[in-house]
Amino acid sequence: MDALRRLWTRWAEWRRPGTVEADLSAELQSHLDFLIDDHLRRGLSPAEARRAAQLDLGGLEQARALTRDARGFRVGDAFVSDVRLAIRHLRRTPGFTAAALAILALGIGANSAIFTVVDAVMLRPLPYTDPGRLVSVWEVMSEGLSAPGAAAQPAPPQRTAVAPANLADYAARVKSLSSMAAYSSLGFNLTGGGAPERVLGEEISANYFQTLGVSPAMGRTFSPDENTAGRDRVVIISHALWQSRFGGTPDVLGKTVRLGEPHEIVGVLPVGFVALSQPGAAEPVSVWVPMAFEPGVLTRRQEHLVQVVARLAPNASVESARAELAAVSDAMAREFPDMGTARGALAPVRADQITDVRTMLYVLLAAVALVLLVACVNVAGLLLVRALSRRREMAVRFALGATRNRMVFEQVVQSLVLATAGGMLGLLLGWATTRFLVAVAPASLPHIQDAGLDARVLVFTLVIVLITGLVFGAWPAMQAAKVDPVDALKDGERSVTSAWVVRRRATLLITEVALSAVLLVGALLMIRSLMALDRVDLGFDHSNVLAASVALSPAYGTPEARLKFFESLDAKLKQIPGVTATAFGNRFPLRGNLISGILLDSDPQYKQAGFQAVNPNYFATFGIPLKRGRALAEGDRNGAASVAVVNEAFGRVLLKGADPIGHVIRRGPAMPSITVVGVVGDVRRTGRTDETGTRAAEIVPQFYLPAAQTTLYPMALREVAVKMTAGAAGVPEAIRAVVLSIDPNQPVTAVRTLDASLAIGAAQKRFQTSLFVLFAFVAFGLAIVGVYGVIAYGVSQRSAEIALRLTLGATKTGIVLDIMRRTAIMVAAGVSAGLAVAFVTSRFVANLLFEIAPTDPVTYAIAAAGLLVAGVAAGGLAGLRATKVNPITALK
Amino acid sequence: MNEKTDVLQGTLALMILKTLEAMGPQHGYGIARRIEQVSEGALQLNQGTLYPALVKLEQQRWIKTRWGTSDNNRKAKFYSLTPRGARQLAAEESKWSRVASLVGRFLVNPAGDA
Repeated sequence: MDALRRLWTRWAEWRRPGTVEADLSAELQSHLDFLIDDHLRRGLSPAEARRAAQLDLGGLEQARALTRDARGFRVGDAFVSDVRLAIRHLRRTPGFTAAALAILALGIGANSAIFTVVDAVMLRPLPYTDPGRLVSVWEVMSEGLSAPGAAAQPAPPQRTAVAPANLADYAARVKSLSSMAAYSSLGFNLTGGGAPERVLGEEISANYFQTLGVSPAMGRTFSPDENTAGRDRVVIISHALWQSRFGGTPDVLGKTVRLGEPHEIVGVLPVGFVALSQPGAAEPVSVWVPMAFEPGVLTRRQEHLVQVVARLAPNASVESARAELAAVSDAMAREFPDMGTARGALAPVRADQITDVRTMLYVLLAAVALVLLVACVNVAGLLLVRALSRRREMAVRFALGATRNRMVFEQVVQSLVLATAGGMLGLLLGWATTRFLVAVAPASLPHIQDAGLDARVLVFTLVIVLITGLVFGAWPAMQAAKVDPVDALKDGERSVTSAWVVRRRATLLITEVALSAVLLVGALLMIRSLMALDRVDLGFDHSNVLAASVALSPAYGTPEARLKFFESLDAKLKQIPGVTATAFGNRFPLRGNLISGILLDSDPQYKQAGFQAVNPNYFATFGIPLKRGRALAEGDRNGAASVAVVNEAFGRVLLKGADPIGHVIRRGPAMPSITVVGVVGDVRRTGRTDETGTRAAEIVPQFYLPAAQTTLYPMALREVAVKMTAGAAGVPEAIRAVVLSIDPNQPVTAVRTLDASLAIGAAQKRFQTSLFVLFAFVAFGLAIVGVYGVIAYGVSQRSAEIALRLTLGATKTGIVLDIMRRTAIMVAAGVSAGLAVAFVTSRFVANLLFEIAPTDPVTYAIAAAGLLVAGVAAGGLAGLRATKVNPITALK
Repeated sequence: MNEKTDVLQGTLALMILKTLEAMGPQHGYGIARRIEQVSEGALQLNQGTLYPALVKLEQQRWIKTRWGTSDNNRKAKFYSLTPRGARQLAAEESKWSRVASLVGRFLVNPAGDA
């Protein structure tokens, strides 16, 4: 019955909100007026009368609060008034509020920012039709190239591009894939219709857009006959390029642009389309041209040239398609022996795009969650102290009938208000941080450019705010609610409750230190990882070496014409001031890699080796030492004997340690025999690490052909490199000028020092390490400040005891040392707990580390030492306050 | 809720109901003054605690309220006894006198003989 009546009152209040409150206010006011009249009649002045009346009434606020409690309002009704009350209370203690808000904004903002990145990279759906049914297809060569010196394990299969010859058969035979399209990324110099600009583009098969389920906004896509040389002078452009270069005019179709050759614009893509090769690309991909192979390519199954995207057939799954592709590959390998060991493989496009970064993002999410936890613990400690100072008020309300649940609820609402305010600040901070993260993010984070505030991020932040508020708010509230009113109403600092707060805060402190220890261990592991990475020897000299790509237009039709261009370019480059050596070739280390199957002597089995076509001065330019035999010379030209130089790994891996000099290699059974005349030092072509990023890159067998023997190699010469003296300036411009002096239409692209290329490769590791170190730093800071706060508070609560000891003969130093001893015990407990947790969870970050074990003891020792020293120092500093205690005043 | 609070509230409730029965409809201030008068100053009532008690009595439907004007023309909220309240009061009164007489018997003759 009682409950029903209460429901009725709540219903009435909900219908006309505020009337009951207003009613009570009016009633109390009239009571006050009566009392004032009374006192006035007795002869007090109006001011005195008012004061006396308020004393009699016992304070309007309190009366209001008590009455409200008696009414026993529950959640909905109490909420709004509690929020207002909370805001009022927070404004009355600006110091506490500012500190708490700052800490919360930091924690919530960091989480919001990282989640925004995760959202853009991993959660937002790709801009294609039914993107979940798109798969990336590639080929895997199962004979690895590791040197025998490596640990005795099977060599990991190497992923490589698909050979167009194989693609044709896959498309025809694999029924689980309803359509397969090829693409390959390419850089162009765009001229005509405006200033020359460099653009990224893709060469695509005619069914590329159809496979993705994307229709052009204007015009058409390519027809299959445009995939042949001569018919491929058409281009499709992106929406952004249409706007920027053609002003978004409707008559753009039919216009011509020069991408080397003139191409006619036949289509414009809709806004928001993102090319498949965009992730990891430095600029937006804006043009698409048809892929056209010379007919020979379709017979050579060893030429792995294209990326492939495919759509699953309606009733197929990823697993069934994968199985079918494997079976078809095996059948094809039996039918076509020159397919070698390559087999088809596939994976969903999104998963494939993020494999490299997925672990890093999860780890960053976990780290930033830890930071938030530290922040929560910190704020909880602050709230405990505040709850203590309000204990008397709470005790009175208990004694006069407030329910425990009501008090807890009010406290929770206050925490939620605090959390929400912190959350709004955090969202602002997070937005700024996201802008920063996008700017410094490595290009390997796909779609990072799209990171921004969207519904998912807002919901996530809201959830975080709620959880945060409940986590740091509920516990102090419940603890405060257990306060014994009798004790609280007693006078004096020596009451039970303040010591109880000190104990609770000590627990919180140990938690904070433990969490901070976990992050510290992680950060240290990553730093040492980076240091180990820097120590890996690449085998060539990468300082002061500048490389550039000179992709010759098809006007240089023959390899001989290309060679002539590069040889005259080489002669001119030598004359640039500051240049000490020059080289040219097909692709240089850190900028590209080519693997070929070769036949060695009379062995019919194909072996895999990396290869390059280079000029004789290449080795001097790159600082690669000659070990045996002779290097390539100017005399090694067409017409002379076909020669090659190999690296030491070639002999180790392919010849079981025999001297390679004198052996013969061929790139195919009908191709010219090449004699090995020299051995040079090993290099790591692709950078310091392998694809997993956890081990040093393998050293693979390599052979070098003379650039001048053009009949021996199929790919085009395209790169030059110069070794500069330290501090040489103006070299990139000089290179461009030299190239233009030979051919004014020839673009020079990707002009970068090797050191810069290396930095790009390390970018992801640097990014994750920087963030992790930042989080660890914040957590460390919060924890140490927390130590200081707790010790200082404890000292102030124990000032009487300290004063007593001082009068009984203890020295100030002794007291401080004692405080430091107690601090050390607490910090040590926290550190031990934290290290234990780190030990157990560190295996999750194992594949972010380079050649350092996640349980490396030295790292753990450093982390422990760091926290102990800093913690004890903070405790000592706080303890110094104890020495300021005046025994006489403290003992009162 | 602990025992102390119940007793406190119960006693106050009884005093309020009795006051309303004796004086007829009254506003909060009047009830407070009357209680102080009757106790002859022995009860220093924190008048703010009166209102929570009034709310509880109203929720129990033992009293009802109406806004009106006082003797000196002030607007005030008047409380009056309901029939249920009158019955409750009668029940409480008889309970108190039974308890008082039982305890009294012990206090006058602790040994138990005449």
